[in-house]
Amino acid sequence: MAFAAIAAAVIAVVVWPQSPASSPASNQPLGLPASPRPALLVPKPEPLSRSSALSYWASVRVAVAARSAPTPRAATVAWLARTTQDGTTNLVLVLDRRVDRRGRLWVHVRLPVLPNDLTAWVPRAALGVYGTVQTHLVVDLERLTVTLFRSGRPILRAPAGVGQPQSPTPKGSFYIRDVLTRYASPFYGPVAFGTSARSSVLTDWPGGGFIGIHGTDAPQLLPGRVSHGCIRLRNEDILRLRRLMPVGTPITIR
Amino acid sequence: MMSLTLEQLDRDGAIREAVEKASGDTRAAFLGKAVVGGAALLGALAAPGSGEAATAKSDVAILNYALTLEYLQASFYTEAERLGAIKGKLAPIPPQLGAVERAHVQAIKAALGRAAVKRPAFDFHGVTENNSKFLKTAVAFEDLGTAAYKAQAARIKSPALLAAAISIHSVEARHAAWMRFLAGAVPAASAFDEGKPISQVRAIVASTHFVAARPKSRSRKKPKFTG
Repeated sequence: MAFAAIAAAVIAVVVWPQSPASSPASNQPLGLPASPRPALLVPKPEPLSRSSALSYWASVRVAVAARSAPTPRAATVAWLARTTQDGTTNLVLVLDRRVDRRGRLWVHVRLPVLPNDLTAWVPRAALGVYGTVQTHLVVDLERLTVTLFRSGRPILRAPAGVGQPQSPTPKGSFYIRDVLTRYASPFYGPVAFGTSARSSVLTDWPGGGFIGIHGTDAPQLLPGRVSHGCIRLRNEDILRLRRLMPVGTPITIR
Repeated sequence: MMSLTLEQLDRDGAIREAVEKASGDTRAAFLGKAVVGGAALLGALAAPGSGEAATAKSDVAILNYALTLEYLQASFYTEAERLGAIKGKLAPIPPQLGAVERAHVQAIKAALGRAAVKRPAFDFHGVTENNSKFLKTAVAFEDLGTAAYKAQAARIKSPALLAAAISIHSVEARHAAWMRFLAGAVPAASAFDEGKPISQVRAIVASTHFVAARPKSRSRKKPKFTG
């Protein structure tokens, strides 16, 4: 009986909440010090923003044959190297994925090869880091403009110089592969983006005839059909584009 | 499979940097080179952050260690959600756990301020695109996170930081039990959890080969474009 009474008293002391009015130390029952406030304020978990304008790129981790179908027996469409002609990591635009009958993952990618607009399949094992972008560049060969969209909204529009009739800028779907800066060549302006597009006319051009988007030392010629296929912008516009357009951005030339 | 060293895997040095700080070694000592980088990094880690937690060097180092593991988890779930290849009963996992792990990253980065280590690049080798591999990796990551936090708890000097770490640790433990249940494993397999020391965490992270070289996207070469 005595034991029960003692136990009841202990329980009462431990669990019975003290009235704020009856005790100045209401937050410190049993005389314990208050718990410290956590040093970090973990914010409320936020979902990813939903954007239909999201695009994916992947780096090429090992040199690989790109095939016409997601199987090792399919025809080789092109070979993908690990690096570009500029010494940067070779990238491909990711379009789709599929698992073959043996459980191997294949990725459908856009290629930086001729003929332009070519897509093919590569094993996921040959690819490395994935990246995402929410930007998309549209080059309008009729209006001689470039427009950069982010999440579907235009954020930059600028006049452009495009290919002359004998060396036209190719139409189709492409992507930004790399960005070159701090080189010594006023002709290309302060920044040059490398793209996956290639001239179908100047195929013996050094480096393979890749189409760039770059500045110029002759801004008075813009807008116009003045280039060998590259897309020329005024230097102030290419510098703005440098700040706004990440590598991996899809390009539509129409 | 050929084993690789951490130096090969962690080319950015982010994981190595965080782990070395947490284990009390300088980067210079780890590499066996007399370079000033280690001392400079220690100085940067000792710089006060925006929170009161940034008072002890060792606490800052532990925070950076935690941040690196949170980067790994957050990147894993975020990539899985964005790729949209995880289907069926697992489909809700990437958005739910990704949001929580991103919140952890945000909180720890805010506390560290400029002393925060950079996010490494990750190559998940397709496990974010395959249900079975995704779940196994999620179990491994959540178990690892839980064990890593536990092992550091006794080394944290600031009571306020310990309170914060415990609040994250229990969430990681809930995630671990959840993922284990989904994988058909016993959610709480033992009565007493052991922590994992830094050396063991480092070896496990290295064995995944998930930490990758960041793609080189810039060059100073003169353009060869058609012009």
